[in-house]
Amino acid sequence: MSGTANPAQSSGPARDAATDIQRWQTLLESIPYARHLGLEIVPDSTGVQVHLPFREALVGNVMLPALHGGVLGALIEITARIAAQGEDAMECRPRILDCNVDYLRSARTQSTFASAEIVRRGRRVVLVRVTCWQDRITAPVASARVQLLLDTVSAANPKEAR
Amino acid sequence: MQVIGVEGEQVCMRLSPQSWMRADDDVQDICTSVLYSLADSASGLAVFAAVRELKPIATLDLRMDYLRSTAGHPALLATAYCHHLSEEVAFVRCEIHAEGEQQPVAVSNATFMRGTQNKRFQAAIERAGGA
Repeated sequence: MSGTANPAQSSGPARDAATDIQRWQTLLESIPYARHLGLEIVPDSTGVQVHLPFREALVGNVMLPALHGGVLGALIEITARIAAQGEDAMECRPRILDCNVDYLRSARTQSTFASAEIVRRGRRVVLVRVTCWQDRITAPVASARVQLLLDTVSAANPKEAR
Repeated sequence: MQVIGVEGEQVCMRLSPQSWMRADDDVQDICTSVLYSLADSASGLAVFAAVRELKPIATLDLRMDYLRSTAGHPALLATAYCHHLSEEVAFVRCEIHAEGEQQPVAVSNATFMRGTQNKRFQAAIERAGGA
């Protein structure tokens, strides 16, 4: 029996995707610094994709001009945090342990996107790979790996909790 | 964010956290990304302090380790220094402390490519010169 034969069944996954995007957007809006940067979830994405609209205030190098490296770092970390936050996890807030960014190309003064892929979700630690791009996803401007600690254990002492 | 001082190859920057920098509406911690920006800026400046010339540089990579909570601190200080400089690459370490505290809240290691002037940069220089 195919899924398309039953309209009620086929609408299931689509509705789930919409719920996910709504949940991610709500989560993003609860982060004051994300609001400050103007981050938004890409509406029709599969998986977590975050859009950083360009504005003049984000320029780090006025000569080139290029985006500030720190802004790209922020986009990466916040995307990783949204991705790491599990479905049932409004009470479990992931804490970023470390963030390692490789800058691949100069980021121009235009819209920037980031997508996250969960490499491994452990019981206590989540490893996320984040890719940032501008024109094409095949020409990334930065690539990063971020480790997050799930706040289920002791957030006070990450070393012990690990 | 303000530069406090440049001593030899060491750069010190200070940041007074604001409410829009918080990691969540219901916590006092500063968003780690703000610390990231602070470390990135201080580290870049440390390269200029070490090479003593204003040739363009580019961040190759930056790794942050977030060690402690930043909640409840009125100011953060970032100290960056270039611990190794080769012909092409600068290696920089940065520590971020809450003002008055001994232990860092975050540490970072970064590498920068030196002398990254290209056609685009040269064109910008010429435009600026001609204007």
